[in-house]
Amino acid sequence: MDSASFLARVGDYHKAGWRLALINVTTVIAAPAPPHGAAAEPAAPATDAPTADAAPASQAASVFEIAWAFAKDREFETIREQITVGDAVPSISEFFGAAFLYENEIRELFGINVTGIGLDLQGQLYKTVTKVPFSHQAIKARLAATAAAAAAASAASAAAAEKKA
Amino acid sequence: MKRTVVPFGPQHPVLPEPLVLDLILEDEKVLDAIPTIGYIHRGLEMMVERVEYTEMGFVVERICGICSFMHGMGDCVSLESIMNIEIPERAAWLRLIWAEISRIQSHLLWLGLGADAFGFENLFMHCWRMREQILDIFEKTTGGRIIHSVNRIGGVKRDMSDTELAAILVQLQDLGKQFKKTANVFGTDPSIAHRLGGVGVLSMEDARAVDCVGPMARASGIATDTRLIGANYYDRIELEPVVETAGDCLARVVVRMREIDQSIDIIRQAIDKMPKGEGMPLETKPRGNPMGEVFTRLEQPRGEVLYYVKANGTKNLERFRARTPTFANIPAMIKLVKGCELADVPNIILTIDPCISCTER
Repeated sequence: MDSASFLARVGDYHKAGWRLALINVTTVIAAPAPPHGAAAEPAAPATDAPTADAAPASQAASVFEIAWAFAKDREFETIREQITVGDAVPSISEFFGAAFLYENEIRELFGINVTGIGLDLQGQLYKTVTKVPFSHQAIKARLAATAAAAAAASAASAAAAEKKA
Repeated sequence: MKRTVVPFGPQHPVLPEPLVLDLILEDEKVLDAIPTIGYIHRGLEMMVERVEYTEMGFVVERICGICSFMHGMGDCVSLESIMNIEIPERAAWLRLIWAEISRIQSHLLWLGLGADAFGFENLFMHCWRMREQILDIFEKTTGGRIIHSVNRIGGVKRDMSDTELAAILVQLQDLGKQFKKTANVFGTDPSIAHRLGGVGVLSMEDARAVDCVGPMARASGIATDTRLIGANYYDRIELEPVVETAGDCLARVVVRMREIDQSIDIIRQAIDKMPKGEGMPLETKPRGNPMGEVFTRLEQPRGEVLYYVKANGTKNLERFRARTPTFANIPAMIKLVKGCELADVPNIILTIDPCISCTER
């Protein structure tokens, strides 16, 4: 992201009397590739490419979507940016004093490097067992564990039904 | 002068929920306050990975036991918006009525806690006695006193008969009369005025600078109220935001007291305007899975709550984020604590009506 133009846009919202309503981050997880023989496009040649390669280009890298939301009376607008893991994001504390809480949160929960936070809580805001619980690796690990548990439960259920029959 | 660091919380008589403020003192004056939360972070937003969107409402309404109804409503309104579902008119009015009953309940609860914090235990008992009547109404109409589970994607689960609504209005108006006596004590007692008046003053400029919301902002003279957006049938209600200008702890008490009367009046208007009759449709069943994203804003008792919901066409949402009013008001609380006397810290913290469960989710 272009930090200078981003901060200029944020500064414009501040000057115009908007209020910071939210800074939200979404961890973009690539959709799983369709199983062999069930490809969405039949013309496409069969491939053993890994899931990440089968995903759209925007989802190929580990990316986060960030939305800075501003409110003014009935109006509501957002600034959206997509960053890759490891990219630095500038703090908007110089314009919006309340930003520090959101920024400490996204650094702790998503692992995003926010630079220049007004009140840096040094990773002490939350106390989570999983460090960086919304990182790509953590989410993928949980999704894999959930899928494995569901598959095991399904297999156990099928085995029980077979035994009963 | 030597500086001392006093940890305020996580266990403290005035704190119903754990919060730590490391207070940096010079003599009795607070120079700085460093917040730490995280004692009740439950990772509820992460539950979208395991819980289907149809059942996520039951998780969301457990974010907080006081704003439970409105959290459930926020989840349903967000998904209805993504799925283009128009809910039946009677269901929308019922939601509005329950939402305002929630506001009365929350304000009575907070006024009681506030009274207890400044040493008026009898006042605390009166406020909570009146709150019990509200909880009885909830139990009778939804089946639950704290967690109601009456919202559905597409409407509500239960109806209230017209006679039941009329009886509830009589009961609330009677409660309003009872509350006037209690409000009189809050408003006229010299000890309370001495303890809260002029303490923790947040000017309008400072309130704007830290983006605070709800009664906290209104007590500092900012006429902000998310209900004025007009969504969820509030455009059919005559409503003026309750505003005080002093910006001190007492002004925040007065705003909440006046909002109890306002909510009773809103319920009266709603009962007057809603379609009458038995057996009216209450729910529009959702079809398929949601696909899209939305930001939803509601006015909870503590102020504006904001939900971000993103769905990707599967049974599980891709992202659910709730920015609760306390989260938005913590910067204001830190600003107020800086420069105050140590003895005023409990009252200042309480007058933002903090809900740490909401904040941490």
